Amino acid sequence: MLAYIIRRVFQSLVVLLVVGLVAFSMFRFVGDPIDNMLGQERTQADVERLRTQLGLDQPFPVQYYKFLEQAVQGNFGISYRQSRPVSEIIAERAPATLELAAVSGLFALGLGIGLGVFTAIRRDGIASNLIMSLSLVGVSLPTFLIGILLIYVFSVELDWLPSFGRGETVAVGGWTTGFLTPSGLKALILPAITLGLYQMTLIMRLVRSEMLEVLRQDYIRFARARGLREKSVNFRHALKNTLVPVITVTGLQLGAIIAFAIITETVFQWPGVGLLFINAIQFVDIPVMAAYLMLISVMFVGINLIVDLLYFAIDPRLRIDGRH
Amino acid sequence: MRTTLAIAATLIATAAHAETFTWAGNTDPQTMDPHAVNSAPVLGFLNNVYEGLVRRGKDMTIEPALATSWEPIGDGEGWRFILRQGVKFHGGQEFTAEDVIFSYERASSEQADTSSWFAPVSEVNMVDDYTVDILTTAPNPIFPDSIANWMIMDAGWAAENGAERPAKDAENYATLNANGTAAFQLVERQPGLKTVLEPFAEWWGDAEHNITRTEFTPIQNSATAVAALLSGDVDMINPVPIQDAGRIASRDGVKVIQGIEARVIMLGFPHQAAELKYGADAGQPNPFADAKVRQAVAHAVNVPAILQTIMRGNAEAASQLVSPAMRGYSSGLAERPAYDVEGAKALLAEAGYADGFSFGLKCPNDRYLNDEAVCQAITGMLAQIGLKAELDAMPVRNYWPELREDNFDMYLLGWSPGTFDAEHPIRFLASTPNEEKKLGSWNFGDYSNARVDELLPMIQSEIDDAKRQGMLDEVTQILQEETAYVPLYVQPLVWGAQENIELTQRPDDFFILRWVTVN
Amino acid sequence: MTDFPLPSATKRPSRFKTAWDSDFAYAFRKSPVAIISATMVFLLMAAAVFAPLIAPFNPFDPASLNLMNGFTPPSEANAFTGDSFLMGTDDQGRDVFSTILYGMRISLFVGFAAVLFALVLGVTLGLIAGYVGGWTETLIMRIADVQLTFPSILVAMLITGVAKGFTPVEYRDQLAIVVLIVAIGLSDWVQFARVVRGATLVERNKEYVQAARLIGRSGPAIMVRHILPNVLSPVLVIATISLALAIIAEATLSFLGVGAPPTQPSLGTLIRIGQDYLFSGEWWILFFPAVTLLALALSVNLLGDWLRDALNPRLR
Repeated sequence: MLAYIIRRVFQSLVVLLVVGLVAFSMFRFVGDPIDNMLGQERTQADVERLRTQLGLDQPFPVQYYKFLEQAVQGNFGISYRQSRPVSEIIAERAPATLELAAVSGLFALGLGIGLGVFTAIRRDGIASNLIMSLSLVGVSLPTFLIGILLIYVFSVELDWLPSFGRGETVAVGGWTTGFLTPSGLKALILPAITLGLYQMTLIMRLVRSEMLEVLRQDYIRFARARGLREKSVNFRHALKNTLVPVITVTGLQLGAIIAFAIITETVFQWPGVGLLFINAIQFVDIPVMAAYLMLISVMFVGINLIVDLLYFAIDPRLRIDGRH
Repeated sequence: MRTTLAIAATLIATAAHAETFTWAGNTDPQTMDPHAVNSAPVLGFLNNVYEGLVRRGKDMTIEPALATSWEPIGDGEGWRFILRQGVKFHGGQEFTAEDVIFSYERASSEQADTSSWFAPVSEVNMVDDYTVDILTTAPNPIFPDSIANWMIMDAGWAAENGAERPAKDAENYATLNANGTAAFQLVERQPGLKTVLEPFAEWWGDAEHNITRTEFTPIQNSATAVAALLSGDVDMINPVPIQDAGRIASRDGVKVIQGIEARVIMLGFPHQAAELKYGADAGQPNPFADAKVRQAVAHAVNVPAILQTIMRGNAEAASQLVSPAMRGYSSGLAERPAYDVEGAKALLAEAGYADGFSFGLKCPNDRYLNDEAVCQAITGMLAQIGLKAELDAMPVRNYWPELREDNFDMYLLGWSPGTFDAEHPIRFLASTPNEEKKLGSWNFGDYSNARVDELLPMIQSEIDDAKRQGMLDEVTQILQEETAYVPLYVQPLVWGAQENIELTQRPDDFFILRWVTVN
Repeated sequence: MTDFPLPSATKRPSRFKTAWDSDFAYAFRKSPVAIISATMVFLLMAAAVFAPLIAPFNPFDPASLNLMNGFTPPSEANAFTGDSFLMGTDDQGRDVFSTILYGMRISLFVGFAAVLFALVLGVTLGLIAGYVGGWTETLIMRIADVQLTFPSILVAMLITGVAKGFTPVEYRDQLAIVVLIVAIGLSDWVQFARVVRGATLVERNKEYVQAARLIGRSGPAIMVRHILPNVLSPVLVIATISLALAIIAEATLSFLGVGAPPTQPSLGTLIRIGQDYLFSGEWWILFFPAVTLLALALSVNLLGDWLRDALNPRLR
């Protein structure tokens, strides 16, 4: 067991290094950062000087080594655009993304499970067929368009919800939260729906099919035969058994939510790390791009690792497999 | 405890919301350091916080700011500035000549992006606490005009906080904090999120505004910005996408403020390249070396149609490298080549290209207003005279390196003269490129004309306005005759605001808060 | 040894055949959703394929455009030229109807090519990982982890950059579509690989595979002949849903500025352009492409949904 964990963690580290290497080797193709950093009256000498100053004239392996050396100590360098430490910038922006991801995750999970159960129990009802078909509409349009249409309807025409940003935020320690003010909560609604819609559909469909499967199992039939109430059968027994795969998928999707927050954040001007990343690409802010990618990688790899270890703990058959 | 305080602060902020003026732009000023970056979003924003010796008025004319008057020294040796007395920085420090000397050293240092403004300066001397002499290497009649964005920072404050020099690769106190003398002071700065300014009670001037607090937010996606304005979430946005101007203007409660920007959009050519680089004719001799072909292009582009549809009637056609609002504009040469397909075809035939040819057109897609759509339209228009353009539109981060590597057969360029003077584009776009003399650094097509090169230094040092204008006219004429560039139009400025907001739009796209009134 | 009975192997084709011949077709006939969505997909694909015959204009030919026709409302005469267009024109004076037909071709081409790319890559790697196991498996699945880490937008931007660096200057303009296909395909293959690997792990230990191994069949032969047919139905379902996802992904990439070029717009590019006119009153520039994309993606999704249920015998 221990040997497996150690090997798995080691593999994860290798994955991280590879991600860093791949990302780093490709940054220079995104564009030339120097061009964005100097004004229109710069000279070639200014360009050369800045290039040397930033270490961009050095061979790429040297640049990567230096980056790693710093990154290990939690230092991601200075943002080219903002001239501030990247770790500070990311720490400022992370709460916005994490809160948005959490709310849209909850939205997806809550509504997804609810509708999933409903459509499974009323399998052939008109309402559940309608829900099943309508849920596909949400995933048949690009996220950015859904976001813009939501803004158009709920901010411009109805004037119910804010069109952009986080509203008023409150600082609790180093964490800025939008949960404590009415405007902060209102500002969360549209972006969270936009971001969570896809996962909601996914979870709903998963719950439905798992439920249908479980409901056919003998012990459920047996429970019914024993005269247990329908509600109790559906929720106490059936739903409970569908939750394991649902939670696994949700866990894996959490990473996806954060990664794909990029688009939602751009549409709603949500000041999170996704928007930061898009800006970094626009201005070829290499230190910010690198840090963002490393963080996303750590998260994905971490989630993967945890899921794998859990499986390993649960399923003894994999232990033999793991000995290869 | 901290939370309670923060909540209390939030409540106060909400209560005071009625007087808060909020506005949104598409770019966040990346730094609060007035010498670190020479870009319009930064300088425009910081003009509200910092001041220079001189400043520009509503009509772009130079007027006194921290200097009350200035005069030439001797026979063009430099300029003497008399400083305003009793001016205070936001931190309470007294403004003196020392701060001017410090700001000169800071803004002209190697680390500063503004150092090119001081290329003509040989030395800066403090005569007394309120008099400064700036000496130039050659007579420089437009020097006071060229330093309107040179902002004065308090020497003591900078030294105290270790911000004596701007920095690009390290943290710097002046990046997030500011200490200027202008009508507004920086209260809160959250990069990329919001920047809060409040009026400075001890400002030397008379306030024309009635703002008690302002908040700036960047909104990148233009549709979101328009939605924010329409839903009343912000009081003003800059820019308004040109296609939305009509709708906003006709909607109750909001209005559009329009003007002409300083930026001229033009087509550029490879003048020295031996061969075409793109399209089916790649490798063939470069037809754009022939002035007739360039003229044909000028006649083939239907500028009125571009203005009518893509620009929705909001822009003006351009005949030269600067707009009529600039100093030194050649008003006698205001006519641009007419749209004339047959004439263009005839010119092509004369040049030996009766059957046309194909080539590559490079274009940015995130730099100028509707730049990609304009290039697309030009592609269609050139197709009418048999010139088959392969359009390659890209983000500006890839665009400049591409042009610098000469990877184009034709390209789109916009130019806004930082000095608001016709000399500026001649120096950057029309002079034979010369790294040492810092000439022609944006002349990607290597246009070269001996007479233009000869006239430029004469223009730069001519004190007599009429003689200077004569030489500028001569350069404009040469550029027009040779069709060095094809100027297309002057980019419009479109801002949107709530009906109750009064403001002034300056042609340099700077938004000056002290001219804002909330009714 | 050769006449050793292979119970699973003999049962397999009949199971597949039965499903296809009776149940599957019957289920299709009984489902109005399946019939409607399949018809819709078929019609839209036909419209895209025969676009040059159906479309009144060729929007990809710049010489045929008249800028003065720009922003003509649907079925109204243009104020300057007097021309009229069924679904109006966009900012360049292009007929929206023709542009949609041509744009759908690009969207579908990118979608199909990307899914095919992902499918071939994912199935191959999944089979190898599941069958061979050991270090090969570890390597492939860790590469999949790396792949998941990269948002497809970044993959697209990086590929564009790299491709620009390597291709001769004169071919750069045609790159955009290839880049899209590779970028979308690359972000999709992991799904196929995971499913196929999982299924292979299960199948590998079944008697028929062990028997085939015993009679000396080579690894690749077993994978292709015996294991592959058994994982086809989940692959088919994933492929269908991936097609819808790929078409949407292309639109999203357009929004982020790495989509099909505006001179040869896909549906996604048209929507990206159209959203600029949401507030300005020219609703048709956004509305028609968006509805077309919705119809296309929705019917593909519905079809995929139905396929999943129909091919999953446990749910019937």
